[in-house]
Amino acid sequence: MSSVEKNSTPSQAQNDANSVADNTTHFGFQTIDKEEKISKVAGVFHSVAKQYDVMNDLMSFGIHRLWKRFTIDASGVRPGNKVLDLAGGTGDLTAKFSQLVGKEGQVVLADINSSMLNVGRDKLRDRGLVQNIEYVQANAEYLPFEENTFDIVTIAFGLRNVTDKDKALRSIFSVLKPGGRLLVLEFSKPEHEVLNKAYDFYSFNILPKMGELVAKDGESYQYLAESIRMHPNQETLKEMMDNAGFEQTSYKNLTGGIVALHKGYKF
Amino acid sequence: MFLSTRAVKLSEQLMVPQFICSVVELIINRALSLSSKPITLSVMENKTLTLELAELNFPLSITVSNNELLVNGTNSTSDCTLISSIATLRQLKAKQQLTELIKQEQLDIQGDIKVAQQFARIAEELNIDWSTEIAKHIGDVPTHKLEQLSQKAKNSLSRLFESLEADVGEFLVHEKRLAVTNSEINRFNQGVEQVNEQLSHVESRLAALESLLNNCQ
Repeated sequence: MSSVEKNSTPSQAQNDANSVADNTTHFGFQTIDKEEKISKVAGVFHSVAKQYDVMNDLMSFGIHRLWKRFTIDASGVRPGNKVLDLAGGTGDLTAKFSQLVGKEGQVVLADINSSMLNVGRDKLRDRGLVQNIEYVQANAEYLPFEENTFDIVTIAFGLRNVTDKDKALRSIFSVLKPGGRLLVLEFSKPEHEVLNKAYDFYSFNILPKMGELVAKDGESYQYLAESIRMHPNQETLKEMMDNAGFEQTSYKNLTGGIVALHKGYKF
Repeated sequence: MFLSTRAVKLSEQLMVPQFICSVVELIINRALSLSSKPITLSVMENKTLTLELAELNFPLSITVSNNELLVNGTNSTSDCTLISSIATLRQLKAKQQLTELIKQEQLDIQGDIKVAQQFARIAEELNIDWSTEIAKHIGDVPTHKLEQLSQKAKNSLSRLFESLEADVGEFLVHEKRLAVTNSEINRFNQGVEQVNEQLSHVESRLAALESLLNNCQ
């Protein structure tokens, strides 16, 4: 494993975002080897898994629930659908999808991180949601499903942690049925400069302290803030989805662009 | 209700429909869990009732799933759709109103009416023993006091409303006819002004006559 090569400021890192060498990628503002990212991201999520839901509520003031509801409303899910909740973590989307697809439908909760998957599985079982949910530990870049399997694939707050996002989008495209759609819910770029500044202040000054205080892990939340800044903006992600083969791609900004929901179809 | 495109966009970006659905879902499921008589939802599994209310620019779809009610802001898979307004839905408490409201085009039902009836049955069967629920949190004696206070407040308010209703009725039926209208007041004011003018005229004439009389003497 190679060590961290570079540690940049937010603006430098963003400028470098598209100029990294083929064998390197970003881990927050650091540039590291691609192989190293998986283990580093895994470390972050193993560390935060148990406090993940509490921290989500705290950090977003509960608004993440509305973002997820918006995603479900936009998915057009119907009874009998087969849904893949990729990077599904603690299963917020899976819980709703499971109830909406009914007995004839199926939801697969997939996550690369076993700790997150375990927390999600325990939570859903405690709620009595067992009959139509499967759990799969999977890397989004190499999805272990047959082609044309799912009606809907969602990835909520997960794509930015994926090492090779283009490869993941192509992999998702292949497992979607024709007529199926992908919904990517992810942090994005705020539309207004004032909001952007306030958001930056909150992310880099308050968020890590909250993480330190509640989850006893400030570093992971520092990574969260950095990884959000390094994630492609709305238009870039839309372009990436187009390049992966998705059609009628579009996005909607939520909460002033702090979060964006991208949607694309496979025909 | 008419909403401009900008208002709809803002409402979407602020996720107002999702917020309202969350709150409604929370309230309904909490109410169901507090019902003193258990309510069976299994016969309605996966049935969806959609309410398209004039006051909201999005539908409210209520689906039964896993012994819970899910509320969302889409109507893609509705078994029954009620198109109406909140005020009209309140009138639906009286069963004989149903036909009348449909005739008056204040209510439109699309799809399986039995689904709507099953959801109405849930609302009818809901019976919450508030005293027991509150007592669990604050104890028996404070609950009893609270109950007495709320009963007193309810009685006072009810008396106030009755008295207001009677006064308004009295005013509309009897006093309004006897009360002086604005036009009558205007006419009276004009009359007073005319008398005032005439008086000034008489005064000036009297003054002229007095001065003439003085000159003659």
